[in-house]
Amino acid sequence: MSEMIVRTNNVTKTYGKGAAATEALRGVSLSIPKGSFTCLVGPSGHGKSTLMHLIGGLDRPTGGTIYIDGEEITGLDAAGLSRIRSRKIGFVFQFFNLLRGLSAIENIETALMLSGRAEKGQGARAQELLDQVGLSEKANAYPSELSGGQQQRVAIARALANNPDLLLMDEPTGNLDSAAEAQIIEILESLNQQGKTIVIVTHNLEIARRAQNVVQIKDGKIAA
Amino acid sequence: MTLSKLVIRNLTRRRGRFLFTLMGITIGIASVVTFISLGGSLKSEIRRESAALGANLIVTPKGSCAYEQVSILTGEQLPTTITGEELARIRGIEGMTALPFLTGRTAIQNRPISVMGILPTETKPFKRWSVGKGGYFTDDESPGVVLGTVVADQFGLSPGSELTVRGESLPVIGVLAQTGGKDDVTIFMPLTVAQRLYEQDDRVSYVAVRVENPEELEAYSIKISEQVSLGVVSDKQMLSSVLTIVGTVNMTLQLIALVAVLAAAFGIINTMMTATYERKREIGILQALGARPRTIFSIFLFESAFYGLIGGAVGVVFGMLFSAVAAPHVSQNAFTAFVAGSGGGMLDISAIVGAIVFSTLIAALAGLYPAWRAARLSPVEAISYE
Repeated sequence: MSEMIVRTNNVTKTYGKGAAATEALRGVSLSIPKGSFTCLVGPSGHGKSTLMHLIGGLDRPTGGTIYIDGEEITGLDAAGLSRIRSRKIGFVFQFFNLLRGLSAIENIETALMLSGRAEKGQGARAQELLDQVGLSEKANAYPSELSGGQQQRVAIARALANNPDLLLMDEPTGNLDSAAEAQIIEILESLNQQGKTIVIVTHNLEIARRAQNVVQIKDGKIAA
Repeated sequence: MTLSKLVIRNLTRRRGRFLFTLMGITIGIASVVTFISLGGSLKSEIRRESAALGANLIVTPKGSCAYEQVSILTGEQLPTTITGEELARIRGIEGMTALPFLTGRTAIQNRPISVMGILPTETKPFKRWSVGKGGYFTDDESPGVVLGTVVADQFGLSPGSELTVRGESLPVIGVLAQTGGKDDVTIFMPLTVAQRLYEQDDRVSYVAVRVENPEELEAYSIKISEQVSLGVVSDKQMLSSVLTIVGTVNMTLQLIALVAVLAAAFGIINTMMTATYERKREIGILQALGARPRTIFSIFLFESAFYGLIGGAVGVVFGMLFSAVAAPHVSQNAFTAFVAGSGGGMLDISAIVGAIVFSTLIAALAGLYPAWRAARLSPVEAISYE
């Protein structure tokens, strides 16, 4: 069996307390091999995004353990989780989440800065990433001047900034037309071929069809 | 991208709010600087006036308080109670020069002006005056006035003009060369003329004494006390008590100005709190990109401190401009006449740096709580914020 980049062990997540408590995840044990293309699918509100947030260290589980690249992240403090996010994980969200006051290239440079890269090397690396997603000429455009598809490609470039092994994406094509969606899928496949592990939460059947693993989440559990 | 660039981009993105918040701290610091620099130039003026007296002992009416000592330096009107007999006894002491002064007031075009009765022949060398225009008194009796240069300029008076003081028309004999002190804003006349106009018989307001050998000051002070029952104060004592009063007044003004800075600090807290709410999503994005809590904290703290840095710098400039240009016109008392003559308003470099550092510290302090709030946001909560 190949090396697992993500391992979750009986992970639970409960929001609220007492009578108002809602169980979002009820014991998810999951292993994602390095270099795989995995889709998390399932009905809305059944815990897919929650699981992705936990894997990405954006939130903490109520119970269970999570390992990223062999390191248990469940016990890490906020700074430790930041380190994991900065070095090992790239996020892409449905609503692009670019920093609106910054140009495309500056968004990428900010990610590089946060991982500790000196300003000097940032520009060249950011430009290289923009080339990779086919947006070399849009380096100085602000998010408001870019189409949804272009914004999402900048977001992908930004997620790749620190060369993470794991890309976590929450509905990356959810807000795009089919032409833009096709471009994104193409980029994702090429990244996967370069060895990136891609985990996507999606309703998109086209993406799910191309995935090597499809994990269905229902009622806070992995459906058989 | 660097943290400081990111901070500046964040601040300048919302220009209106940035400027309004900045104005608060700018006004606060400007008022502190105004008071500090007015106070500073006032003190250096007082030192200069004290030196310009040319005296190292001052004889004042018995029981004079510090306020009256201030008046000697500023040229305010003083009670006139030292008699001619007392004056004669003081002037009889060997080894020192003692000159009487009588202070009065008059008005030219409804503006109050100091009048001083002097012994013209002895006072001129004592004060090291030189004549700028026209002549000088030829004896100690004949009616006439000699003007300080500012008085002459202000009211368009020159040798040959007539000036009415207390109903009596007096010829302007001459105008003194600039002294840089309160003598520039004073009208001088012979003591006897002043005593007659102000109905003071042979009384005078104070006596300035110069002891030839300053090391014997103490001994002469005792000698004077033996001769007359009057107050004797050395120029140094007077200077220090006057500076204490001015210092207290100035400190009070500065405290009031500090309240303005405090209010501005709350303005900054308010702006930064609003920013943490509005930029929740942005904080979430930065966290997803790997920003540590410490980094988020720094971004918000630096933003806040930046208000202080810029507000402090602009405030210092405005404060100095205000105290140099506007303050002398604000009121017409003797203190501001001083400042007008001093061309003051300039702070030394350590005060400038001090004001900016202070302002930056206050602003950083104001940013602590908002920055702490921003840093402890849960990433998933922040990123999901709509």
